[in-house]
Amino acid sequence: MLNYIWLTLILIGILTAISLDLYDVSTDRYQTGKKISATVIINNPIIIRERGEKYLCSIRINKQEIKKLYNVNLTEDLIQQADITFIDNNTAYIEIKLDSNSPSIWKEQSKGQQKDGNILHGKIYFEKESDKNFNVQLIVDPVKFVRLNSVTNEGIVKYARTAVELSIGLIGIMTLWLGLMKIAEASGLVQKIAGWLKPITVKLFPDVPADHPAMGAMIMNISANILGLANAATPLGLKAMQELNKLNKKLGTATDAMCTFLVINTSNVQLIPATVIAIRAASGSANPTEILGPVIVATTVSTIVGVITVKLLSKLKIFRKQLEENSK
Amino acid sequence: MDSIVSFIQILSIVAIPLLVLFIVSYGAIKKVKIYEVFIEGAKEGFNVGVRIIPYLVAMLVAIGVFRTGGAMDILTTILSPVTNLIGMPAEALPMAIMRPLSGSGALGVMSEIIKAHGADSLIGRMVSVMMGSGETTFYVLAVYFGSVSITRTRHAVPAGIIADIASILMSVWVVNLLFK
Repeated sequence: MLNYIWLTLILIGILTAISLDLYDVSTDRYQTGKKISATVIINNPIIIRERGEKYLCSIRINKQEIKKLYNVNLTEDLIQQADITFIDNNTAYIEIKLDSNSPSIWKEQSKGQQKDGNILHGKIYFEKESDKNFNVQLIVDPVKFVRLNSVTNEGIVKYARTAVELSIGLIGIMTLWLGLMKIAEASGLVQKIAGWLKPITVKLFPDVPADHPAMGAMIMNISANILGLANAATPLGLKAMQELNKLNKKLGTATDAMCTFLVINTSNVQLIPATVIAIRAASGSANPTEILGPVIVATTVSTIVGVITVKLLSKLKIFRKQLEENSK
Repeated sequence: MDSIVSFIQILSIVAIPLLVLFIVSYGAIKKVKIYEVFIEGAKEGFNVGVRIIPYLVAMLVAIGVFRTGGAMDILTTILSPVTNLIGMPAEALPMAIMRPLSGSGALGVMSEIIKAHGADSLIGRMVSVMMGSGETTFYVLAVYFGSVSITRTRHAVPAGIIADIASILMSVWVVNLLFK
């Protein structure tokens, strides 16, 4: 199953990027090489306009000009901060610092320019001068394959790094809980906890002995999830997976108990979604916690649906066969 | 309602320290050599973290390619006629698709929608409930199965996806029922 999902995500992801890019090139979405009339206001008086001289400035573009180019309606003229570096008397490189006012097409282009993502690179050609204001023609550096660029820079490189950072970040808290769970096991605490909810857990996980340490770890993981204790929930869940794996006759293939446990985890009952409430409160909600009731209802129903589904699916021939074939 | 909320909030702050205290002292009472046993168990921690890496890289890169290449936007467009049928505003659809794939992505979508429509609008409430009731299913799958080197996941993935769909449908239904 994961084989197909993995292939689908990668295949569709890259093919979509290629076709969108080809479409953008064929329709000249980014108006490559077009001259844009603009006004540059340089903060410090310019003394010399020579190669390498760098100045801070702001660039102003008429809203009609933007409308004509990209067919985007702005409420007022576009003003952006920028750095310019002179090439010679009449030309300069410009780095426009994009902000929340920038047209979104510029943000796409800056990503396609493969650099910082928040800076749009281009060149300006000076025309007329009056006091500190200069009339210029702006030409944005050409971009090609904007989507493929962000697939490379963000999709592949950044996500791969994030994955490793997440894994490494888990080590500290993981180590702590594995140590604590060993104490809880040696003292008989885990087995005791497993005993408390025996009537339910035996039905949910028929292949796991009722007083097995896996039961204790699973109950602790589910409780931590319900209370929203993410720091403890994941390590406890992984501990439970290790215990369940000790009962696994064919390593590398998920057992019924593992699948059930996984689904309970991904659809877990939530009592307090702290992050959501925090964001709602910060966005000026009159009643940030009013969503608690609906969340409890939705998570409870989804857990019930998940458990029923996982039990029904486990009886299907294709999934049975995988388990039996592998255990030969 | 508010007192329940503050009770749970306090509980979530004190739960972990109290649990640590309880486990350690229970062990000591039962005459377990707590320090030695802790170290023995904790040794595995590093290996588990490292063992997850290939699974998580595979999963996140595939999701990353799908998101950044523009496929996510196209999927949203294709699915948008369906949303009316179930009473979901079209703007909430990216949230429904993003939730099982990426936690940070979903948080971003939620913040954007709340910023645009307000936290107390119908759609703002709906995405809040989706965020709270959903889970990053594919991350959990990669990490949990990765930690015990399982590649053949059998029926866990379809069951997880069906539970996700149930959670989204319920979020839409309950919010429409209570707040419309």
